[in-house]
Amino acid sequence: MSAPALPAADARSAGPRSPAPRPRKIKVAHPRAIAIFIVPFAILFTLFYLVPIGYAIYQSLLVVERDGTFGKATEVFGGLTQYILVFQNGPFWESITRVLAFGVVQVPVMLGLALLFALLLDSPLLRGKRFFRLAFFVPYAVPGVIAAIMWGFLYSPNLSPFTALTSNVSFLSADLVLWAIANVVTWVYVGYNMLIIYSALLAIPTEIYEAARLDGAGQLRIAWSIKIPLIMPAIVLTGIFSIIGTLQLLAEPQVFRSFSSAVTSTFTPNLMVYSTSSIPNVNLAAAFSVVLALATFVLSFSFLKFTQRKEGK
Amino acid sequence: MRITKRAATVALLTAATVAITGCSAGGGSTDSADAACEPAEGKVELTFTSWIPGIEDVVDVWNKANPDIQVAVQTGPNGNGGTYANFFNQLEAGNAPDLGQIEYDALPNFRVQDGLVNLASCDGVMDAKADFVDWTWGQVSFNEDDAAYAIPQDSGPMAMFYRADLFEANGIAIPTTWEEYAVAAEQVRATGAYITNFSQSDINQFAGLVWQAGGTWFGNDGTDWTVDLTDETSIKVADYWQDLIDRDLVSTQPPWTTEWDNAYNTGAAWTWNSAAWGANSIASGAPDTAGKWAVAQSPQWEAGDEASGNWGGSSTAVFTGSEHPYEATQFALWLNSSSESLTMLNKAANLYPAAKAGLDLPVLKEGVEFFGNQPIYDEFATASGQVSADFVWGPTMTQTYNDVSDGFKAAVSGNGTLAEALTTGQSATIDALKAQSIPVKE
Repeated sequence: MSAPALPAADARSAGPRSPAPRPRKIKVAHPRAIAIFIVPFAILFTLFYLVPIGYAIYQSLLVVERDGTFGKATEVFGGLTQYILVFQNGPFWESITRVLAFGVVQVPVMLGLALLFALLLDSPLLRGKRFFRLAFFVPYAVPGVIAAIMWGFLYSPNLSPFTALTSNVSFLSADLVLWAIANVVTWVYVGYNMLIIYSALLAIPTEIYEAARLDGAGQLRIAWSIKIPLIMPAIVLTGIFSIIGTLQLLAEPQVFRSFSSAVTSTFTPNLMVYSTSSIPNVNLAAAFSVVLALATFVLSFSFLKFTQRKEGK
Repeated sequence: MRITKRAATVALLTAATVAITGCSAGGGSTDSADAACEPAEGKVELTFTSWIPGIEDVVDVWNKANPDIQVAVQTGPNGNGGTYANFFNQLEAGNAPDLGQIEYDALPNFRVQDGLVNLASCDGVMDAKADFVDWTWGQVSFNEDDAAYAIPQDSGPMAMFYRADLFEANGIAIPTTWEEYAVAAEQVRATGAYITNFSQSDINQFAGLVWQAGGTWFGNDGTDWTVDLTDETSIKVADYWQDLIDRDLVSTQPPWTTEWDNAYNTGAAWTWNSAAWGANSIASGAPDTAGKWAVAQSPQWEAGDEASGNWGGSSTAVFTGSEHPYEATQFALWLNSSSESLTMLNKAANLYPAAKAGLDLPVLKEGVEFFGNQPIYDEFATASGQVSADFVWGPTMTQTYNDVSDGFKAAVSGNGTLAEALTTGQSATIDALKAQSIPVKE
């Protein structure tokens, strides 16, 4: 439900730069060709984004009425009733705060590692690049649920291969479980973000490095003053993806819920949507989703604006 | 160019048609009331969703004997583990299966969502009433005349599974009252093990314990629901377990995990207050302990009492929107009352039949190897006769379970108590009912 912010943010981050002068050259010379190219996308986009979003918004504006203990439900227009419930719902806002705390710590750590690995892969000093590139990326090929189950075993106080550690430090307790989950998410996504950043590094023309070396810059200096500024757009992009991913955490906490006493049915906003919809109270669940999608959009958009302003300076 | 243009038009039109039909299917299919329950002509194909291990083999037997009513079975996770959520979504979308497995505690939830067909007018259903254990029929008919919203399948009378070998080796008496159980808990703890594991997420098990103690959580007088998670009895049960938790006499591992299986498999937990179907769970979760278990009646609150609770047990319901309620009902009746089917279900999944005739099946008289050849179903037969028929389930049990479980999780982590969790569950349930305009007395 809350996926919509993803392509929007994506389009925005890529949008302002490339296509500006082109459309004018072509004018509307091949309208049919354009239509044919756009139609498949437009159909899928409408079916799988616009219609579901519209349906969720519609659902969120309804309330249920019924007579008697087993009366048949009729859905009537209820205005913003469900949204009032959302704003009064303590656990929902606690879950948002929780994932924000998660994001503030996890996203910089993950992207920092991804950047470090990408720079190492790109540096001429490292051997066996292919191996490392694949090795870092492999966790991303493991489905999130499987990764969570696997880490669950590693954290387990009695069954872990590292019981010496896990029987003394309770990774699944209320204090640590959020960071235990953060570790799983980081493990899965570092390689993915690394690849995005690495491919941006590959696109930098080598003449720039030559010039830098002629000016006497070492590898560290090149990385800091040339590579990082040039790949900033890629880092921003991974940042936005990560923010969205954080707010939408579902699979990992859902899996952890079965073996940790600290993960409740309202642990993350998406888990909350899930439990509300299985009551089933689809109208309230829809309202939660819409609010979550808006929050995601606002957050990714402000992050983008913030980084752009910094770049501008 | 012309071809591509035509192709594009076709594609567009197809997509539009799909979109339109997709919408209409989602919309108005639920307004037909209880359709007449008449046999269809020709061959009928039914879909059935269940999570009983081995259900496919039972359905195969039906399919071979009934070429005109073919049932396609689909399996999934247990109800609260995801299948109910799927059912609710399918009902909302208008594409629910014809038949589904629903536990008794979830029936009100499905009825409130208008998901169940009243099968009372279907051939043979009302005649079958007398064939089922009374309280199970009470659950599927909501104690109304001329109503049958599902066919009872099995029940979950509760008893105590215990490690006979360990109790004997350590000279600990088998507890018959909860007081003795607490004393035994201390003795077991002294050996380094736990007497049992208190489940933080099986709220239906806890409800079974309250049921045994004579409590009930919900009431429905026809105009209003009442919610009573915090009456004296429930609090008594909650305080009892809270005390064992506080004194570290029970472990509090999340249930149904490998860690939990491991505790039973290695003798770190000695008893489990569970239902008849639990025999299957122990045998599969703790295979190394084969032959060492036994079953006794649940500990009682007062010495000499004879009360039992119930945990789980399912029914087979026909979902709103099924085009063949007649055939679906015939299958459900066969599945849950033929000795052939009940024998298979018991062998594959240790189901304890809700059909009275099923209780006399030879398979239920045999000793069970995993339990040292004890004829364990004799114990469950006794327990079954002691289950009160008065326990009523609420219309949003998924939510009630979630909220109480969130509180239980906090309690076993040292934040709050089980009684507080019930109080939170009480108000959350009332809120959930109100949010859906389900009339509730406060």
